[in-house]
Amino acid sequence: MKTRFSALLVLFAILNLPVRPQSDTPSGPSKVNAIFTEVSPRASGITWVHNNAHSAERYLPETVGAGCAYLDYDNDGWMDIYLVNSGASDFYIPPAPLENALYHNNHDGTFTDVTDKAAVAGGKFGMGVAAGDYDGDGWQDIYVTNYGGNILYRNNGNGTFTDVTDKAGVAASGWSTCAVWFDYDNDGKLDLFVSGFVFYDKSQKILCTDEIRSSSYYCVPRLFKPRQSFLFRNKGNGTFADVSQESGIASSPGKSFGAVATDVNNDGLMDLFVANDTMPNFLFVNQGGGKFEEMGLPAGVAYNENGKPRSGMGVDAFDYDGDGWQDLFVANIDKEFFSLYHNQKDLTFTDEPGEIAPATHLLSGWGLKFFDYDNDGDADLFLVNGHPDDMIEKRMPTVKYKEPPLLFENTGRSYKNVSAQSGSVFSRQLTGRGMAAGDFDNDGHIDVLIANNGDAPILLRNTVGVHNNWLGLQLIATKSNPAAVGAIITWQAGGVKRTRLKTGGGSYLSSHDPREVLGLGTASKIDQVEIRWPSGKLDKLTNLPINTYIKVVEGEGILKK
Amino acid sequence: MNRPLIKALIAIALFCFLMSPPCARAQASDSSKQLERIAALISENRIDDAERQLNLILTTTPNNSLALNLLGTIRAKQQRLDDAEALFSRAVALDKEFLGAHMNLAYLYLIKGAPDKTISELREVLRLDPSNPDVSYKLAHLLLSQDRIDECIALIEEQKRPQPLPVPLIVVLGDAYSKRGDVSRAEENYLQALNQQSTNASALLGLAQLAQRKGDSKNAALYLARAKDSIKDSPDLLYSFARMALNSGMVNEALAALKRAIELKPSESRYYYSYGLAWLQKADLQESELAFREFIKRQPDSSQGQMYLGYVLLKLKKIAEAREWLEKSAQKEAQTPEIFYYLGLIAQEQADYERAEELFEKAVRLEPAFAQAYIALGSTYLKLKDFPRAQTALQTAVKLRPDDSKAHYNLALLFARLKDQQRAQDEMRLVEKLRSAEGQTDNKNEILAPQNSGPK
Repeated sequence: MKTRFSALLVLFAILNLPVRPQSDTPSGPSKVNAIFTEVSPRASGITWVHNNAHSAERYLPETVGAGCAYLDYDNDGWMDIYLVNSGASDFYIPPAPLENALYHNNHDGTFTDVTDKAAVAGGKFGMGVAAGDYDGDGWQDIYVTNYGGNILYRNNGNGTFTDVTDKAGVAASGWSTCAVWFDYDNDGKLDLFVSGFVFYDKSQKILCTDEIRSSSYYCVPRLFKPRQSFLFRNKGNGTFADVSQESGIASSPGKSFGAVATDVNNDGLMDLFVANDTMPNFLFVNQGGGKFEEMGLPAGVAYNENGKPRSGMGVDAFDYDGDGWQDLFVANIDKEFFSLYHNQKDLTFTDEPGEIAPATHLLSGWGLKFFDYDNDGDADLFLVNGHPDDMIEKRMPTVKYKEPPLLFENTGRSYKNVSAQSGSVFSRQLTGRGMAAGDFDNDGHIDVLIANNGDAPILLRNTVGVHNNWLGLQLIATKSNPAAVGAIITWQAGGVKRTRLKTGGGSYLSSHDPREVLGLGTASKIDQVEIRWPSGKLDKLTNLPINTYIKVVEGEGILKK
Repeated sequence: MNRPLIKALIAIALFCFLMSPPCARAQASDSSKQLERIAALISENRIDDAERQLNLILTTTPNNSLALNLLGTIRAKQQRLDDAEALFSRAVALDKEFLGAHMNLAYLYLIKGAPDKTISELREVLRLDPSNPDVSYKLAHLLLSQDRIDECIALIEEQKRPQPLPVPLIVVLGDAYSKRGDVSRAEENYLQALNQQSTNASALLGLAQLAQRKGDSKNAALYLARAKDSIKDSPDLLYSFARMALNSGMVNEALAALKRAIELKPSESRYYYSYGLAWLQKADLQESELAFREFIKRQPDSSQGQMYLGYVLLKLKKIAEAREWLEKSAQKEAQTPEIFYYLGLIAQEQADYERAEELFEKAVRLEPAFAQAYIALGSTYLKLKDFPRAQTALQTAVKLRPDDSKAHYNLALLFARLKDQQRAQDEMRLVEKLRSAEGQTDNKNEILAPQNSGPK
C-alpha cells in the first residue's frame, strides 16, 4: 500500500510540473543618433540652479515655477539667457537672497552671469518671463511675472536695466503666471497680456493632507478661486493703460498658466488662446475696436470631448499642416491627454492629436513649442513634462513625478514620436516647467532651454547636422510692433511654398528667440521671401543668401551689414 | 488541449486502479503485482517501459480490462485522446462494473468537451458507488453548469433520503435553486450549509448574490466581507467573490481577489477578463489593457475579449491597434452595438466623419436605446456642420438619458455655434451640475454588455 501511495504522489508531482514560460525575444539597445545634446553647466558656464522653496506644507507656488527666456539683451546678434527663480513671499523667507539670472552669450558656447551688473535679479517669488521691446528703442526689455507683483525691467541699452514697473503701471497684483507681448490693436506698439492664476495667500490656510500617510501634497487648483487676467495697452510714452475690463479680458476670470497670441480667423487681428488649470480654456477672439469675445466653447477648445475642463498648462499655436490656418496645442495633466486642435477655418477646431495622445497619456505637460528642428520646412513639436505633485507616485504608482521630454516630427498632417531616436535627454526624468526655443550658437539649428523646478536648467544644443538649408530672419519693424508679432512670412524654395505667422508667447512661462529660421529642406537656393507686416506693408525679397541670418527692415528690405 | 484535466484524468486512472476493490482485480491476481509496477513506472514517467510491459500482458490476455485502462491513461498522457477513449471503452465493455474506467471516461469526455457523455458516465459511477459524495458533488455541479437545473435538484434531493447531505452538496442545491429563481429555497439551503459550517465561503457568496438580487446592498456587503476571510486560497471562490464584489461596487476588494486568484491559477483566462473589467471600473486603463492582453493571449478568438481590448486601447488613444481588435470582434459580433459605436469613435478620432456617421447609425439601429451612440452621432453631425440632425440626435440622447452630462455638453456646443448663447449657457450650467454628481469618470454608459458575464 505504501508503494501504491508513493507512486500516486510521484505521479501527481510529475503532472503538476510547471509549464515552461514562453520567453520574449530579447531586444538589443536601439541605436541613438542624438538630435539634441546636453551642454553641461561646466561647458556652458550656466551654474545657476532653481530653488523651488520646497516645504513640508507644500505651498502651491512652489511647484509652479519657473520660466526661462532666450533674448539678445545687448544686440550683439547672439542669444542670451534669462532664468527665473523663487524668492521671498508670505510663505517663504529664503535663508539667503535668491536671484533670477541673466547670462551673457560669449559667442563660443559659453555664458557669463551678468545678473548683478544688469540689475535684473528679481527678488520676488518668480514665475515667468517675457522679453520684448515695449518702448521701441531697439533694445529688448524684460517682464518678470511673480507670485506677488510683477516687474518690468527697461533695457538701458548699455548692459543695464531699470525697474520701471510702477511708472509703467504693469505690476498686476496677486499671482501672475505667463505674460505675452503682442499688439492687439495694431497701433505698432507692444501691448501686454498677463495671465492671472488663482487667489492664493498663506492666510487662507488651504493645505492638502493625505490622512493615511499624514503628509501634505500640492493642492489641486480646483480648490482655489479663479482670478482675472490683465491686458495692458501700451500708450507709447513708457506707460500702459489697464484695459482688462473694457477689452472683455477681465470678464473671464480663470486659472491661467499658458497663453499664446495668434490669429485664428485670419482677420489680421491677434487673438489669444489661454490654457486654464481645472477650468475651461479661453479663446479670446479679437473683435477689433479693442474688444475680445471669449469663444472657447463654440470653438471646441474649452473642454474635452465629454464637456469636462482639464488642467491646461502649456500652449502654442502654429499652422502645422500648412493649410493657411493657425492650429492650437495645449498640454494637460496626466490621464487627460494633450490636445492638438486642428483649425476648421470657421472658428471651430477638432482635436486630432494622433500619436501625441498615447505618448503623453501619463505625462503632465508644461513648456512646449512648435519649431522646425531639422529645417525641413515644417513645424515639429518639443514637449517638456513633469508632474506638479512630488507625492504623486505614492498615490498613483503609474504616474511619475519626474518625466521625460518628448520630440515629435511633423509628417505633414500629423506627428510621429521620434524621442527615442533623438538623444539621451529624452530618457531623462525631469521636473520640467519652462521651455524656450532659440539658436544660441547661431548655426541655424534651433536649440532648446529647459527650466526645471527645483533643479538646474538644461541647455540643449541642436546637433541634427547639416542636412537641410535655412535662412534666418531678424525682423526690424518701423511701423509695426517691434516684435513683428502678427507678421506673415511666405517663402518659396525648391518648388515648395510655405507660410508662417509670427506668433507671440507660447510655451509655459517662457520667451523665445525673436528671430525666425526658415527651413528650406534640401533646396540650395531660396526663390523669394515675402513679409506681410502687421501694418499691412509688404516686403518682397529675392536674391537671398542661405544658411545665414539677415536683418529685414519693414518697408526697406534687407539691411546691409 | 486542457492540460490540467488530462493530468487529473491520468491521476484518477491510476488512483482508480490502485484503489479499486480487490474483487475488481481478482481475475488479474497473477498479474496484479506486475500492474502495480507498471503503474509505478507511469508515475515515474517511464512511459516506454510501462507500455512495453502492458503490451506483453495484453498479448497474452487481450481482454485484461485493468491493463486496457492503464494503457488508456498512457494514451491520454500522450494527448492521443481518441485512442484513450477506445481503450477505456473496451475496458468498460469487458467489465461494466469497472468503476475506475467509467470515471476515466467521464474525465476524458470532459476534456473532449462532451459534458453530456461525462454526465452519463458519472451516473454509471454513481450507480456502482451510490454513497460516493465526491461523485455526487461532481455530477450535481456539472448538471448545474449545463443548466440542467431540475436534474441537479432531483439528484441532490434523492441523496438526502438515505443520509444527511454533506455541506458542498447543500451549497450546490442552494446554487441550483438560486439559478431557478427560487430565492427562499436557495436561501434555506445556504443557511443550512452555514449552520453546519459557518465559514463556508460558497454559501456566503450565494447569500451575497441573493442579497444583491434583492437590492439589499448592505447585507450583500456583509456576506461578502464574511466570505472574504474564508477564500484566501481558492482561486474559483476568489473569482466568484470578485465578480460579486464588482456588482456591489467593491472594486478594490474585487481587484485584490482577482490578483490573488491569478497568482494561484495563472492559466485561468476568465480571471484576466474580470481583472480587466475591474480595472476598467477603476478607470485604470493601463492595468486594464495588461489584463485584457493576458486574456487574449489565452483566448485569442474570444470576440468579447477582442472588443474590450479594443475599447481600452481606444480609450488610451492607441487608435490603430484598437481598430484592429474591434474589427476582428465585429466579424463575429455583427449584432453587438457597442463594437460599431467604438469603431465610430475611432473613425471620429481619424477625422473620418462620414464613416463615423455610418457606424453610429448602425449602433443605434441595433440598440435604439443606446444613448451614448446618439451623443456620438450628434457630435459627428456637429463636426459635419449638420446642425438640425445634430440637434435631433442629441435630443434623442437626452430623452434616453436626461442626466448625461456629455449629451448636454454637446447641446451646449450646438447652441453656442448657433449663437443661441442663452441656451448654451443653460446647458453648460446643467453640465456642471451633473458633472459634480457624476464624479470624475468619463466612460460611463459606454459599455452595454453585462460586465459581469463571462467572456464569449
